[in-house]
Amino acid sequence: MKLLKSMILATATFASAGSAMAQTEVVWWDFFVGGDGQRMKALIGQFNDEHPDIQINATSSEWGVPFYTRVRTAAAVGQGPDIMSYHLSRVPLALSEGILTPITDSDLEQAGLARDDFFPRSIEAASNDEGTLYAVPFDIHSIVLYYNKSYLEGSDYLDEAGNLVGIESLDDLNAALALAQDNGSQTPLSYQTSGPGGIWRIFHTLLSQQGGTLIENGEVLPGDNLDKATRAIAIMQDWGDKNYQPEHAEYEASVALFTSGRSAFFINGVWEVPTLVDMEAAGTLGFEWGAVAVPTLLEEDAIWADSHAFAVPIQGNKEMAPEKREAVMTVIGWMEKHVLDWAAAGHIPAYLPVAESEAFTQMEPNATYASLADKAVYDARSDIAGVASPVYDAALNVIAPAIHGFLEPEQAAEHMRQELQALLN
Amino acid sequence: MITNRRKHIVVAMTLIAPFVFIFALVFLYPTLKMVELSFTNAPLIGSGEWVGLDNYRRLFNDNLFYTSLKNNGYFVLLTVVPTTVIALAIALAVNRLAGSMQALVLAVFFLPYILPVSVVTQIWAWMLDFQFGILQPLIEWVTGKPVAVFNHPSWVMPAVASITIWWTNGFNVLLFIAGLRNISPDLYEAAALDGASRRQLFMKITWPLLWPVTALVLTLQLILQLKLFDQVYLLSGGGPFNSSYVLLMMVYREAFQLNHGGYASAVAVILFVLIMIVSVLQFQLLRIGGRK
Repeated sequence: MKLLKSMILATATFASAGSAMAQTEVVWWDFFVGGDGQRMKALIGQFNDEHPDIQINATSSEWGVPFYTRVRTAAAVGQGPDIMSYHLSRVPLALSEGILTPITDSDLEQAGLARDDFFPRSIEAASNDEGTLYAVPFDIHSIVLYYNKSYLEGSDYLDEAGNLVGIESLDDLNAALALAQDNGSQTPLSYQTSGPGGIWRIFHTLLSQQGGTLIENGEVLPGDNLDKATRAIAIMQDWGDKNYQPEHAEYEASVALFTSGRSAFFINGVWEVPTLVDMEAAGTLGFEWGAVAVPTLLEEDAIWADSHAFAVPIQGNKEMAPEKREAVMTVIGWMEKHVLDWAAAGHIPAYLPVAESEAFTQMEPNATYASLADKAVYDARSDIAGVASPVYDAALNVIAPAIHGFLEPEQAAEHMRQELQALLN
Repeated sequence: MITNRRKHIVVAMTLIAPFVFIFALVFLYPTLKMVELSFTNAPLIGSGEWVGLDNYRRLFNDNLFYTSLKNNGYFVLLTVVPTTVIALAIALAVNRLAGSMQALVLAVFFLPYILPVSVVTQIWAWMLDFQFGILQPLIEWVTGKPVAVFNHPSWVMPAVASITIWWTNGFNVLLFIAGLRNISPDLYEAAALDGASRRQLFMKITWPLLWPVTALVLTLQLILQLKLFDQVYLLSGGGPFNSSYVLLMMVYREAFQLNHGGYASAVAVILFVLIMIVSVLQFQLLRIGGRK
């Protein structure tokens, strides 16, 4: 009976959809799965409900190389989507592949947006060297420092409200880690030590906090950047030597170390915020937690960051029909204005009217670490950098062995320089 | 009987035409295209400009190429002969069983072979997991401490090799069993009547008569193991610091991560030529060895 009912309902819906006039279908590809995926599906559903004339037809596939390879091959032969999610760190490679179409000012106008509506750093990362925009930033996501209050109680590291304070240098952090270790935290600083993402993000943060850059004018770690990279690796190796960080922790294990209460601190992306919020709500977390922007441990304010963005790929040799492009821009504009729901996944909206709205500035813990948007340092603008790039691979291939003691920091930095330089030549 | 020779040829041609057509379409044409691509600076999609031998010149100056070559060689050493010896031993043992017992044991040894590579690597990644792996206590008992095998420069290749042998050995056992069944029991009977020992039976009858199969297994293994990619990609990603980087990983990275279709083709051509030379050479050597 229930089946029959739903069949009739489906038929009726289908019939009514068919009778609606000139509905534009927008083919949408993204790489959002897990918590992000659920939130994006909800947004897409809401959009489709509100727009009888536009129908988003969404497909999600696996994050990383599989997604980007598929996009490139499909777009080149005109079988790609009308709109897709994209990492801003991946824009330089996309530009050299020539698979993105420029987002013009009239496109933005159609979407009800303007360049000034976004954090300047994200617009810069979404543009080519001449300033032509190729993607519309959606969020800024970064790494944050999560902490378990139970290991810090009664110490100077918690203020009266129970918030983390007093970590203003590497020594402060190391002292806090030592304290947590004394208080029984086995591996007081958890992060993904056996995967490219976790290692790369921390390494890049430490390098940037010394004012260092990975690639300058086609040279990998030129001048004293090599020493800065060495120092960054040495800091991470030291955390290993003192048993502050877990050995060979895969991503899931690194999360589990914190959520099970074994690690006092945890450095990971903002996207794990929902995990903790949900566990706390379900009463399965077992401790009080907080999250702050990764403190400035070295000389300069800098935190690795990336953005999810929307991009419109080329359609092989053809041009996208103007009505279709209009529909795509309508989708982008609507999404930006509803980015608050997306922010619940831990992200910071790239769209300033929402990022500065009262609703967001009261959203916890996002508001606590929202300042990182001003310290955001995107990956080097290079064909070999960005999400799922050889630079990420090098983090796993070279830095991971170093932080586990198989390579000296100098050797690792030099190895990384040579290997990446060979790819650039 | 008088045959119309011409008609004969026409019939033969008609019969092989479908195969030749498919072969040309999905193998010959792509192969020639790949060779052509290797002389251009083409991206992954579309064509590029002719650059002559530039890709090859660059390749022979690429340190990673030599590291990969060395690792490919190391992996071949670790797998080809060991897997053949193990398969032969298992086949000899299984051959002594009879009836349904033999079928059952054979099935057990063959089982891993039917698993897809992703399942195989997942099983072993779990079993050898640094924190929770069921095999870690064993490793700890031997070495005194747990080892993250896929992150350790000297453990990674032997580990991948052992897993590969576990995975692919069943097929070799099958080939050896077939070879053993082809040896007439009369020979053993006659030799036994003449008072030959077990050792003599093996050395004088089984080994020489099985040689063609052994040569085949060795050659097939050599080709297969030179094409190593999946296990390394899934288990170690080529690390740590390139200790398990192999030529096909290089092809993958250049083509799919870096959009260098031309350069990736050059690496692929070198691998193709290498496999061809080595396997032809090996097969000829083994044939000579067998004739003595």
